[in-house]
Amino acid sequence: MTIGNRAKSFFRKPHNLILVTLAIALSFLTLFPLISLAKDTFIVHPSELMSVRGSHVGDVTLFHWKKVFASGETSMKMFYMPLWNSAKTSLGSCAIAILLGGSVAWLVTRSDIRWKPFISVVFIFPYVMPSWTLAMAWINFFRNRLIGGAPGLFTALTGIETANWFAYGVFPIIVVQGLHYAPFAYILIGGILRNMDANLEEAATILKASRLKILSRITLPIVMPAVLSTFLLVFSSCMSSFAVPAFLGTPVRFQVLTTQLYRTLNGINPGYGYIMALVMIAIGTLILAANQLFVGKRKSFTTVTGKSSNISLVKLRGARLPLSILLVGFAATISILPLVTFAVESFIMAPGDYSFGNLTTQFWIGEGREDIGGGEPGILLNKYIYLGLWNSVKLSLVVSLVAGTIGGLAGYAIVKARGTRLSALVNNLAFFPYLMPSMAFGAIYLSMFGKPTLLLPSLYGTFALLVLVGTVKYLPFASRAGVNAMLQLSNEIEESALIMGIPWWKRMARIIFPIQKTSFLSGYLLPFISCMRELALFVILIVPANRVLTSMLFQYNEKGWNQYANAINLLIVLIVLAFNTIINKATGASIDKGIGG
Amino acid sequence: MPEIILKEVTKRFGKFVAVDRLNLTIGDGDFVTLLGPSGCGKTTTLRMIAGLESPTEGEILIDGKTVFSSKSGVDVSPDKRDVGFLFQNYALWPHMTVEQNISFGLENLKWEKDRIRTRVAQLLATLKIGQFGKRYPSELSGGQQQRVAIARTLATGPKVLFMDEPLSNLDAKLRTEMRTELKRLHVETDSTFVYVTHDQLEAMTLSTKTCLMKEGVLQQYEPPLSVYNNPANLFVADFVGSPTINLIEGRGRNVNLDDIKLIADGIDMIFSPVSGSITLREDQEIVLGIRPEYVKIGDSGKMRARVYSTLPSGMETIVKIRVGGQLLTSVVFGAIDFDVDEEVGVEFLGERCVVFDKETGINLALGRLGIV
Repeated sequence: MTIGNRAKSFFRKPHNLILVTLAIALSFLTLFPLISLAKDTFIVHPSELMSVRGSHVGDVTLFHWKKVFASGETSMKMFYMPLWNSAKTSLGSCAIAILLGGSVAWLVTRSDIRWKPFISVVFIFPYVMPSWTLAMAWINFFRNRLIGGAPGLFTALTGIETANWFAYGVFPIIVVQGLHYAPFAYILIGGILRNMDANLEEAATILKASRLKILSRITLPIVMPAVLSTFLLVFSSCMSSFAVPAFLGTPVRFQVLTTQLYRTLNGINPGYGYIMALVMIAIGTLILAANQLFVGKRKSFTTVTGKSSNISLVKLRGARLPLSILLVGFAATISILPLVTFAVESFIMAPGDYSFGNLTTQFWIGEGREDIGGGEPGILLNKYIYLGLWNSVKLSLVVSLVAGTIGGLAGYAIVKARGTRLSALVNNLAFFPYLMPSMAFGAIYLSMFGKPTLLLPSLYGTFALLVLVGTVKYLPFASRAGVNAMLQLSNEIEESALIMGIPWWKRMARIIFPIQKTSFLSGYLLPFISCMRELALFVILIVPANRVLTSMLFQYNEKGWNQYANAINLLIVLIVLAFNTIINKATGASIDKGIGG
Repeated sequence: MPEIILKEVTKRFGKFVAVDRLNLTIGDGDFVTLLGPSGCGKTTTLRMIAGLESPTEGEILIDGKTVFSSKSGVDVSPDKRDVGFLFQNYALWPHMTVEQNISFGLENLKWEKDRIRTRVAQLLATLKIGQFGKRYPSELSGGQQQRVAIARTLATGPKVLFMDEPLSNLDAKLRTEMRTELKRLHVETDSTFVYVTHDQLEAMTLSTKTCLMKEGVLQQYEPPLSVYNNPANLFVADFVGSPTINLIEGRGRNVNLDDIKLIADGIDMIFSPVSGSITLREDQEIVLGIRPEYVKIGDSGKMRARVYSTLPSGMETIVKIRVGGQLLTSVVFGAIDFDVDEEVGVEFLGERCVVFDKETGINLALGRLGIV
């Protein structure tokens, strides 16, 4: 065969065409930005002319690297301390998330605890809600006078002044992030426990092993790979989380890498920020490499298919009722109580005064008043809020449509060409954005598309840039969902249609998509929800014209307009939860499908 | 000596009744198979005896000791019932080597290290898996995994062994091989085997007694050949035997002293019971059951039939013939080929044709069948 004919026959297969297109596009959108980011760390930026003496814009310099890594006290304050803080809070959060999520997963899948449907729905609420939800709730509850401003609900109700360490900084960040990611651990570990053959434990019971021994010698070793990969994923998510440390750490000047990144990028030293972004990406990549080391080892979990249907549940006996009540209470506390505090906070006039007479609807439907919040009207009358809401919904819809479709196609092509190098390349490229901390990812796109690049004009401040960054960032969710959907579908199903001469698009639209509808739809749902509640990714790319709800929330919060912030937050949470529930009920697609990797 | 007794054992999952008032006595040294289509409650029964599942009602005794009783609230946990259990999917622990898998139970019995090592080596040798001791289960084939699972179950020397479709994941050749081994093992270990299967051939070939269940209700509990030759009802007759029994619907009435005149599909027959006389109502609706080996085809024979198709398999030949509107199955020893639509004569042999009541499905009598 001539090369021409070979190429022709190669491209006649739709999945090859998709793979080549994606390989080129994703290289441009992920690898190229990485290079451009690396380049930016060696360059003098306009705002840095003052600090880098005698330089011109665009000069090559090692100034940033020296400052960040090897300048004694400065490096310590700017980089090493925040890095250490990030590591510390992430490790703490991981411990809480895994212990809590793992225990609940075990209770729900393996014991006869009551009210399982309620627990399994409500317990994952914190993950569906924006990450700062719990952080804001924490502040609403426990803020103290030491920082200035009114005390929170807790102090108002009990009269006890909360300590600083309790209200702000390391402790609440660890607790809040741990609670936020506990559902994530619950979903991943629960999935393994559910798939793990109960016979494995029963076999040990019959051989007279004690409960404790079964747990330590059988159950834990078998779920260990899943626990480890949960640990790594939660760790990297915590490392890259911005909103929680921004809400809980900033009042006491507790800086982590992400908040530091935000400061430097928005300040006069973007060069520092780009270096930090690189460090965060390096950490993410290391974590993925570590994760892959655990998978595919000799001893690793083998899926032995068998009937796992007849699971006998561990009887909690006397502890059953108390434990059930405790768990339901706890799930309700972390999922529903925050919403109540937002509602309460958004209805009070003078912060800190929770008496009945202090209630007001000013911040929802009030006309603007000079003495409150700079004359802003209530959020339901504020046209900027509606603009932000419209922007949020528009952005999320467009991103979910584009990412979901591309991800679905990518999944199709990756599975079809399984085993080829091209397929592996696209699979990795499509997953790569998952590793990049949102903030760093935003920084890269700012650095790359802030000026005309290749054929594109400068995209800074445009809606298109937000769509682009959102699409690429959430492509991993969609492509995972697509790959999972395709893996469950036997090849013969498409081949039988192929033999009948049905064209490719019709095979996709009439056969493949309908069969795996829920899995593919999860690939649309995840980007939508993630986008609706995203802050870190967009926060440095947003200009006043295309503000979204989350960035407005952040601004109101920075200004200290607590009631507005709470009202907006309630709005976002309700929209996200409503959307999740509607899609879930209507199509069966759900957020817990496609999570993980 | 371990004898297992089930009294009025019932298991309900919500409203669904999985096992319905089951009474069963499994004698010492028996090889009992629980047989039935999927969902008939056989696995649930096994799991209840082993203690992996708690009955909703009833009583279970092992070796004279009550291990479960809904009345007195006794529910002995599986580890205290001194039983072995072989799972369908083997349930080998993927993170332990073959040796670790086998020795786990012995460690729980606090055996000394040396003794464990000797016992494991002995089992590996018995089951011909000596060279795999250091491997992980995922590195073994299905048949080898199966042997490891058996070794693990035998290690502690249980006097009662439960097996839940242990051969269903193996290929046909290996399955036959393992059946032979299991039957030997039963004699060598001198223990009681309770074996769940949906494969009637497995039940026929292995067991000393077969317990046939349908929708949670016991149908017949007898040695396999009795079940085969004298099925308690239509369901049992149809479920046991391959190729399946011929069932012909018709009507019957008493004639002469003992004989019964049957009319089925326009054919007149006389049925002479050998299992005791029966009385039919006038024109009672019945179903006639004739095993394929009792349908003789040849040149003689009053009844004429046409060959529908022939399936020679070497040792025997299954011939489907058409009599009136009925398709009957006949088994002939040796390889004989008939032409399609060839005319043959048909006779019914032996004294084991069965008459069932159509309404209740109950076996009314065994007997000779002659064509008038």
